[in-house]
Order: sequence, then C-alpha cells, then structure tokens
Amino acid sequence: MMLLIIIGLVGLYLNLQHLWEPLKHSVKIAVSKTPLSTPFYVAKSIKSFDKTCVNVEYSEVLGGQIAFDKVMNGEVDFGTSSDSVIAFKSLSKQPFVTHAMFVQSDNDVKLITRSSDKIKSVIELKGKKIGVTKGTASEYLLSMLLAIEGLTMEDVKLYDYKPKGLIQSFSNEEIDAIVSWEPFVYEALQLFNNKVKIHDTKSLSTLSFNLISQKADNQLVEKAKCVIQGLQTAINYIISNPKESKKIVIDELKLDPAFIDWVWPDYIFKLGLNGSLILNINAQATWAVETQMSEFRDVPNSERFIDSRALIQVEPGAVNIPL
Amino acid sequence: MKLSLQQQIYFFTITSCLLFVILVISILWSTQVIDVASQREKYAHKVQDHTHILQQFITSENIAASNYNTKKWLSLENKFKELLRLVPHLTPQQHTIQSSIDSKNKNVIRLFNAINTNKLKNTEAIIKKHLKIRLLTQLEAIRSDSIQLSTLAQKDIKNIIKNQIIFVLSILAIVIFTLIYGACSLVKIFRTSLEEVKIAFEKNHSGHFQKIQLSNKSEEFTSIAIAFNVMNQKLSSTTVSLESMKKIVEERTHELERLSNTDPLTKIANRRALFERGNAEFTRVQRTKSQLALMMIDCDLFKNINDQFGHLFGDEVLKNLCKVCNKEIRSIDFFARYGGEEFIILLPDSELSGAVQTAKRIQRSLAKNCTAFEGKNVCVTVSIGICTVSDKHENFEHAINDADAAMYQAKINGRNQIEIIGDNFSH
Repeated sequence: MMLLIIIGLVGLYLNLQHLWEPLKHSVKIAVSKTPLSTPFYVAKSIKSFDKTCVNVEYSEVLGGQIAFDKVMNGEVDFGTSSDSVIAFKSLSKQPFVTHAMFVQSDNDVKLITRSSDKIKSVIELKGKKIGVTKGTASEYLLSMLLAIEGLTMEDVKLYDYKPKGLIQSFSNEEIDAIVSWEPFVYEALQLFNNKVKIHDTKSLSTLSFNLISQKADNQLVEKAKCVIQGLQTAINYIISNPKESKKIVIDELKLDPAFIDWVWPDYIFKLGLNGSLILNINAQATWAVETQMSEFRDVPNSERFIDSRALIQVEPGAVNIPL
Repeated sequence: MKLSLQQQIYFFTITSCLLFVILVISILWSTQVIDVASQREKYAHKVQDHTHILQQFITSENIAASNYNTKKWLSLENKFKELLRLVPHLTPQQHTIQSSIDSKNKNVIRLFNAINTNKLKNTEAIIKKHLKIRLLTQLEAIRSDSIQLSTLAQKDIKNIIKNQIIFVLSILAIVIFTLIYGACSLVKIFRTSLEEVKIAFEKNHSGHFQKIQLSNKSEEFTSIAIAFNVMNQKLSSTTVSLESMKKIVEERTHELERLSNTDPLTKIANRRALFERGNAEFTRVQRTKSQLALMMIDCDLFKNINDQFGHLFGDEVLKNLCKVCNKEIRSIDFFARYGGEEFIILLPDSELSGAVQTAKRIQRSLAKNCTAFEGKNVCVTVSIGICTVSDKHENFEHAINDADAAMYQAKINGRNQIEIIGDNFSH
C-alpha cells in the first residue's frame, strides 16, 4: 500500500515537473567562431539552455558580419555581432535590434607590421599599403589611429580583404600592414614566426560582442529572454571558473591554449545594454559617415537598434539606457 | 535512548538557546554582509559621481587646444584612480564589473593622452569631436558599470534582508514549534502521570491496593511508581482491611455473645439468656395479647444420681435430658437451663394443652432414652410445672414463680408428674 502511494507520488511529481517545464522554442543562433563567443560555447557545454525555454542550435560562422547577414536573411533567429558591425549596419537602416552585449575587449583589433619595416609609430604608415576588412572594427581602428596622428584614410593605400585574405596578402607582401582582429592576429604572429610587430593599440578601440536579431516581436523577445538567461548562467560560470571555461573554448574551437592565454586578459564577460554602447555605435556610425567610409550620409538614432525588453527581464541592473 | 524529564527540559532549553544563538549570529552576520554590500554601493555611487564630474570636465574643456593645461585633468584623474584603488571586497560578478571600470579608465587615460600629446595638430574638427565623443563614451561606460555595480549591491542587500527574514522566521517557527511540542509533551507526561499517581493513592485510601501503571514513561515518575509499588506491596501484605476487621469483630462479638448466653455444660441457653428472651416474650405477649406458656422441668432425685454415680455421670444425665428436650420442642420454643437440674422452656403462641402435650412427649421420650452407666441404663424422670402468662402476671419472674410452684406441686404429687397453674385451673 505504502509502496503504491510512493510510486503514485513520484509519478505525480515527475508529471508535474514535466508540466512545469516551460514550452520550448527551437532557436538557431549564428555564432561567430571567436573566443569572444565563449559564453555561447560554455552555455552549450554546461547545458545552461536546458533550464530555459529554448532549444538552441548553433550555426558557426566566420566573423560577426556573416552572422549579421544570416540573421537578416532569416537563416537564423539570432546572431553574434560586434558593435562595429552594428554601427555600420545601422547606417543601412536595416530592421535589426541588439538584445544584449555579453563581452567586451579593448584590445581585440590590432595593427600588424613587419618587424623588418621598423615602423615604430602610426605616422610612419603614411603612404603605405594597408589591408583592412571594410565595414568592420579593423577599418574603424585604422581610421582612429591615423586621426590621432593627424592623418586620414587618404594618406594611406587601403585594401579590403576578408580576415583570411588579409594574412594571405600580408604573407605575399602585397600589403605593408594589416589591421585585423583575434584570432587572426595571433595566427599571423604564429605564421610569421615573430617576424611581425604588433602595435600597442589597446584602449583605442573597444570591441563588444552582442546578441542581435531582426526587429523583434513579442515572441522573439521571449526567445531572446531565454537565450540571455542561458548566457547569464554561462557568464556566471566563466567568472567563477575561468580555467574550465578556457578549456571549453580551447576544445570547442580547437585553439592553441597559448592563444587563449594571450587574449583572455583583455576580455570582460558581462551582460549589459547601456548608454556607452549606444554612444559607441553612434560614434562609429558618425565616424563612418564623416570619414566617408560608408556610402550612407545620415546617421540614424542608435537607440532604435537597441531592444532592452529581454535583458531587463533577466538582469534589470544591466540595463542602463539614458532617457 | 529514553531521556529523563530533567534531561528533556535541559535538552529543550539548550536547543532553544542554541537556536537563539544561531539567530543572533545570523543577524550579526547579515549586518556584516549588509555593511559590506553598503560599502560596495557607496563605492559604486562615488565612482558614478566622479565619472559624472569627469564627463562634465571633458564636455566643458577644450582638451585638444594647443595651450591646454592638463593640471586640473591630472588632479581629477588621480583622484579617480585613488578612488578605484580603494575598492571594497567584491563578489566575482562585481569584480568583473570593477575590471571593466579599471580597463575603461585606462582607455580614458590613454585616449586623453593620445589627444593631448599630439594636440591633434593636423586633425580636422570632426575627428577632434569624434575622439572627444569616444572619450565621453568610455566615461559613460564607466558610469553605466558603476550603476550596474550599485544595482547589484542593492540587489544583494535586498536578497540578504529577504533571506534573513526567511531565516529568522524559519528559526522562530522552529523555536516556537519546539517549545510548544516540548511544553505539550512535558505537560502531558506530568498531567497523566500525576493523575495516575493520584488514582493509585485514592485506591490505596479505600483499601484497594493497586500498582501505579504509567502510560507515559519517564525516569522520575517511574522511580516514584517503583517506590510506591514496593510500599504498596508491603502494606497490602501487612494491613488488614477495615471490612475484614469488621467481619472478624462481628464474628468474635457474636461468639462472645453466644458464649455469654450459653450454658457451658449443656450447651443450651443459660439463665441470662433465658431472662433476656423471657422478658422480650413477656413484653410481646402484653402488647399483642398472644399466648405464652412456660414449662419448668426439674430432674427427679438428681442428688441421688450424683451421690450414687458421681457428678460426672450427673452431668451426662443433664446433657441427655437437654438432648431429649431439644428434640421434642418446636423450633420457635426456647429452652434454657434455669439452674442446677432445673430447666425452663418458653413456648410462644402455645395454648396450655399444647404445652401439656410437649411435656408429656418429653417425659415419654426421657423414659425411652436413658443414660448408660457402665453397661447399664440409668433412667431419670422429670417433674414438670406449666403455666401460661396472663394479665395477673406483673413480670416474667412472676410467671416463673407460677411455673416453679406448679413444678413443686408435681414433686409433692409424687414426681414424674405434670402440674399446671393457669387462669382457669390449678393443680
């Protein structure tokens, strides 16, 4: 009798537990293959999406721009994109929104020259052939570096390459310098066997990685909320267990542990949607317009590309958008 | 393990004290944690305020001007760096935000230096403006981070207070439950045990020795019960109950009464009993006007028997006489020894003729039942005087005198006779 009651209670408990589970949405996310996407890899590894309302499938892409395109053509629900991509894309007034920033680095994009060229200062780049990936943080950083030294983009010969193409062209000595982001900088460093100089550009550009989607309806906001919940668990895990988190990324991206040790100190993993992101996007968009990096002429209000409805439900303190 | 009442009280007291100590420690701990969280919040506010000052400074000053003096900036920035150095102990999540603030402050310093070192000599106004915005963006990021830090600290304080309230209420609930449970258990043990002891005492009082059976076992009451039960056992074995004592006294009294009313030789009623009964019967006759006959019997020539056969045989003759008389009288008749060889029979509700018949039966029976002496029957006769009680009699003795007179007449008439003294006739 007692056994029957216990079995009945266990059965009821399991059934109720099943009923209490939130309705699962299938969600596809384009994740840029970079250590900046660590929260996504950790989330997958520690199964932090299991307790949320989403079943997540990743579509791994090279670079935030591709992720953005996949979001916009509807191949995926969400994507991971840098603030630079968001800034450039905002100019084309495409209907997208940023739900949350989950990582930032102030040393992701770097300027590489050949050691043999003995270029000490940015001013010495005048007249040189420089490779960048247009419409990304690499172009933005170069223009900043030049501006600080009183130069403009017209003072250099600009070449547009995809990240892999940058290294290839640099290797073929078609160009004198490249501005790229990790892991390509580390790749170049390994490839050229330390015969390159990496200029200290730390602090001159801030790169953040953000969760983006098409303009969101309520259902998409609900999905975004669940994705952010999973990311929040993953970020808390990264903060508390950096060693284990590094190992997850190394295994997932098949990276050299030395590379992770190289970039990790520059990364700050935290959820946020704040005024600085808006200002940053706005500044970069304005910069792109004013330096004629972009074909567009007017800068839209960046706030329309921010959707805080999902994050405010998960971590209200992380949302700080000035009225 | 069964605890004694004393141990149980100690246990409850110690448990309650322990819970109280836990409560106090948790409150002290919470105060400490809230204090730390408040420090974090205060720190976050200071960072926020200082960032605001820096933002205002950058907005209002033309930092790219060729003659710009950085002294004021350096003073503000140094103060800010000093503030960031005095960071309180943070949680891992807050520490990440603090790292972000540190890193962004470095960005601010570096950007400021980059702008200020070259004074952006050949730079267009829009680029200057852009770099300034970038500087402000970094400061805005610091401000946002400090707000987030402050929000987290506030959240911590709220959580601590909430958890503390839940904890305090839970502990209080446990304490109250423990106390109520303990009090109820003890009261139950005391109440039932005292009641059982009381009942046992009451039973004892009424002479029903009963053991104390405790329904709630406790060391203290069990020891009382054992002591009581041992005492009870001893008392029950040595004490005679009031009831049985009464019975014994009644029996003894009855026996004494019987002995005092019985003639020791013939085992019939003695003279004292005769007068007691005779007076009662006389009073009854006077009240109810019923009839009462008196028969005085005297053994003829008894002195000769004593002289001839000895006093012991004389006693045997009297015993035989009594035996014969007892056989011949009715159950309501009263037979007593009057003295020596004289006997009286009271015959209530008997007419004279009935008494005469009884007397004759006695004489006939006596003639048949002689007393054996050394293989030879020795027969005796009796002279009988009968009288009936009438109005002329003033008392019982007066009636006896009449019976005695009749008996005497029978002796004179030759013994073994029956003589009557009544209202109508007299012999």
